[in-house]
Amino acid sequence: MRGILDAHGYDPGPSQRPFLSGALSGVVATVPAIAVLLAFGALKVEAEILGMSPLATLGVGWAVMAAAGAAYARFFGRAANAVRGGWLFGMTFGFALWAAGAVLVLPLISHGRAPAGPAAIGVAVSLIVWGLGTGILVPFVHRPFHESMESAAKSADVGPDAAAAKDAPIRKQRQPGRR
Amino acid sequence: MIRVVALRKAVVAGLCGAAVMEAFSFACGKLGLPAVDFVGELSRLEFNGTPLVGFVAALAAHLSIGICWAVFYAFFFWGRFRLRPVVQGLLFAILPATLAILVVYPELALMRSGSAMVTLDVHRFFAPITAATSASLLVSHALFGLTVGLLYRKPVGYAADHRPPAPRPRRSTSRRAPPRRQGSTGFMFATGIECSYPTIEQGRWRRDEMDSTRHYDFWQEDFELAREIGITHIRYGPPLHLVYEGPGNFDWSYIDPQMEELEQYGPEPIIDLCHFGVPSWLGNFQNPEIGPALAEYATAFAERYPWVRFYTPVNEMYVGARMSALDGIWNEQLQDEGAYARAAWNLANASIQMSDAILKRRDDAVLINSESGEFYQPCCPDEHVQEIAAEANARRFLPLDLIFAHKLSDRMRDLLCSQGIARDDIDRLQKRSVPRRSILGVDYYEWNERLIDRQGNAVALGELFGWYVIANQYWERYRRPMMHTETNKTDIDGAPRWLWRQWHNVQLLAKAGVPLVGFTWYSLTDQIDWSIAMSEAVGLVYPVGLADLNREPRIVGLAYKHLIDLYRDVPDYNECKALKEVMQ
Repeated sequence: MRGILDAHGYDPGPSQRPFLSGALSGVVATVPAIAVLLAFGALKVEAEILGMSPLATLGVGWAVMAAAGAAYARFFGRAANAVRGGWLFGMTFGFALWAAGAVLVLPLISHGRAPAGPAAIGVAVSLIVWGLGTGILVPFVHRPFHESMESAAKSADVGPDAAAAKDAPIRKQRQPGRR
Repeated sequence: MIRVVALRKAVVAGLCGAAVMEAFSFACGKLGLPAVDFVGELSRLEFNGTPLVGFVAALAAHLSIGICWAVFYAFFFWGRFRLRPVVQGLLFAILPATLAILVVYPELALMRSGSAMVTLDVHRFFAPITAATSASLLVSHALFGLTVGLLYRKPVGYAADHRPPAPRPRRSTSRRAPPRRQGSTGFMFATGIECSYPTIEQGRWRRDEMDSTRHYDFWQEDFELAREIGITHIRYGPPLHLVYEGPGNFDWSYIDPQMEELEQYGPEPIIDLCHFGVPSWLGNFQNPEIGPALAEYATAFAERYPWVRFYTPVNEMYVGARMSALDGIWNEQLQDEGAYARAAWNLANASIQMSDAILKRRDDAVLINSESGEFYQPCCPDEHVQEIAAEANARRFLPLDLIFAHKLSDRMRDLLCSQGIARDDIDRLQKRSVPRRSILGVDYYEWNERLIDRQGNAVALGELFGWYVIANQYWERYRRPMMHTETNKTDIDGAPRWLWRQWHNVQLLAKAGVPLVGFTWYSLTDQIDWSIAMSEAVGLVYPVGLADLNREPRIVGLAYKHLIDLYRDVPDYNECKALKEVMQ
C-alpha cells in the first residue's frame, strides 16, 4: 500500500498541514465513537481493563485518537484529501487500529484481558465509526488550514535554484508506452 | 486521489461478491458441509430475541462489508498486476481471507461470549479456527474475489455510443482573479486541460480524459485554480466526439458553460479542436472525409464563439497518426507504414481545411500548430540502424511538412504516393500559402529523444540534447514563430527542476533570435492512464499536473506560480515582441 501511496500521492502537498487537520478530525470523530462505546457498555469494560476511571479512559482515548487522526492524515497524504475515497481510507485505518490496538496490543498490556460480548462489538464498531468520521472529515477540515498558494509559492525550494537540484534517473520514471 | 475508481461499479461488484459468499454458505449448509456463515454469525451477536431484525441487520452489515472491500480493491489493488481481472480479484481475496482467519472470525467468537471481559491466550483466541472453518473461509473469500474481479473492470471511459452527462452548470462563485485581459500581447504562460479522446478496443471504448479527470464536474474550480497560479492562457479541447453529433448537428451544451466562463474571466483559451480522436460516426483517421467534416465543425465553432482568437486545429498530428496507425494503440489500431501515411495525410488536410474555415470567420485568428518535438539518434554506424533512425526522423516531420508547405523528403513523398495519394494533391499542398499567423508549437518530454539501439528498437534517451536543440531543428526547418506547447515530468519531486530547465531552454532559444511567444506546463491536473498511453481503461493516476485530482496544488504548481510571478512583469514578457508581431 505504501508503494501505491508513494507513487500517486503520499506527499501530503506542499501547502497542506496534515497533522493539524488529521488531529482535529480525529478529535471530532471521537464523539460518535464514544457514543457507540457507551451504547454497547464498552467504555466501562475498557476502563476496567486499563485500570483507570471511565473519565480518565475518555481523556486518554481522546488524546490517542487525536494522535491517530494526525497519523492517518500524514500516512494517507493526498489520498486523505479525497472526498470520494476518504471515508474508505478512514474506515481502513480504523479497522487497522482495531486489529492492531484492541485485538493485539490491549490484551498484551493487560495480562490477556480483552473485552468480550457486546463490549467487544462496541470497541470494534466504535473504531470503525471513528475511522469513517475521520476519513469523511479530513477533506473538509484541511481546506481552511492550507498555507496560501501565494506564500507557499515564495519558498526557495520551488524557485529558480530548483533547476540545479538532483534528478531521478529516467529508468526509474514512468513513461508512456504499452503495458 | 490515488486512483480513479468507478464507485458504482465497485458497489455492484461488492454487493454481488458478498451475495455469492452468502449463497455459498447457504448451499454448504443445505448440503450438510461445514461452512462459516457470516450472516448467521453476525445475526446471533446482539439480536437473539428478534431473529428477523437480526437477520436483516446482519445481511446489511455483510453486504456493506462486501462493498467496502470491493471499493478497497478498486482503490488499492485493481490494475496493479498485468493479469486478467478475474485473477486479480482472486489474488486480492487473499487479504480479506487472511484477516478473516486471523482476526475477524476469532473475534466474532469473542463477541458471542456471555461475559463482558475474558482473559485470553493465543490458544484460546484461535480456538474457533479449525481446518474446516479455514477452508470454508478461504473458498468463500475466493468466490468473493472472483466475483469482484469479474465485475469490476474498465473504471474509466465509456462505450463509444454512450454520452456522459453534460458538464455541471455554471455557478456564481467568488473569483479572486480579475476579468480576462482583452487583446493582451503578453508572453503566454500557459497550461492545458488534458482532453484526449481516442477510442480503444477497435473503436468500441472511448477514452475521455476530461471525464476521467472529472473536469466536467470541476471545470469552474479548474479555471479558478489556473487563474490563481497566474496562468494567462489555457490549451482547451472541447470534446469533439460529444459536441459534433453529425453533419450540421452540434450539441453545444458540453461546452457552452465553460466557454462563457473563459470569455469573462479567462485564462484566454487556445482552442484545441481535434485531440487524438474523432466522433464515432466519422470512424477514424483513415477516413479521408474527416477534413471537410472537421472544417464544418471549425466553422460552427468559430461562429458560435467569435471572441476566440487562438486555435490549435489538430493537436500533435504525428503522435495521433503514429499511435493510431503505426503503434496500433488508438482509433484504427493499425500497425502499418502505409496506414500511418494515410492518417498523417488526412490529419494534415483536416488541419489545413479547419485553419481556412477559421480564418474565413475570423481573419486575425492565430493558429498554434502544436506538435511533439521528437528526435531519433542512431546508436552506431550500422547501416540498418542508421536507416531506421533516418526513416523515423523523416516520419516525424511529415504532417508539419504538409501543413507548412515544406518540401517533402523523397521517402515520404513516395510513401504517400504508394497509398494512392495523387502527386497533384501533394503538389497543391506544397504550393499552398501558409497563413501568416501560424505559430509552431513544439512539445517536449523526457522520452522524446530516442536512441535506435543495435536491435533497431527506439529507447528513451532522456534529455540528451534538450528542447533547445530539438526545437531549433524545427525552427530551422519551418521558420515560424514558436511556442513551447507541452512539457511535464512524472517524478513529482523532480518536476520543479524540469520546469525551470525547460524555461531556461526557452529563454536561450529566444536569445538566439527565435521568436518565442509562450511556454506551457501540461497539464493543469494529473492525467489518467498516460503511463500506459491510454491503451487500456485502468484508471492509473499519472501525477504530472500542476495540481492533483483533488485540485490541490503540487510542488510544480507552486514552482510555476513562482516562475510566472518572477517574469510576467519583466518588460520583455509583459509585452512579448514576437507575439505582438504575429498579432499585427
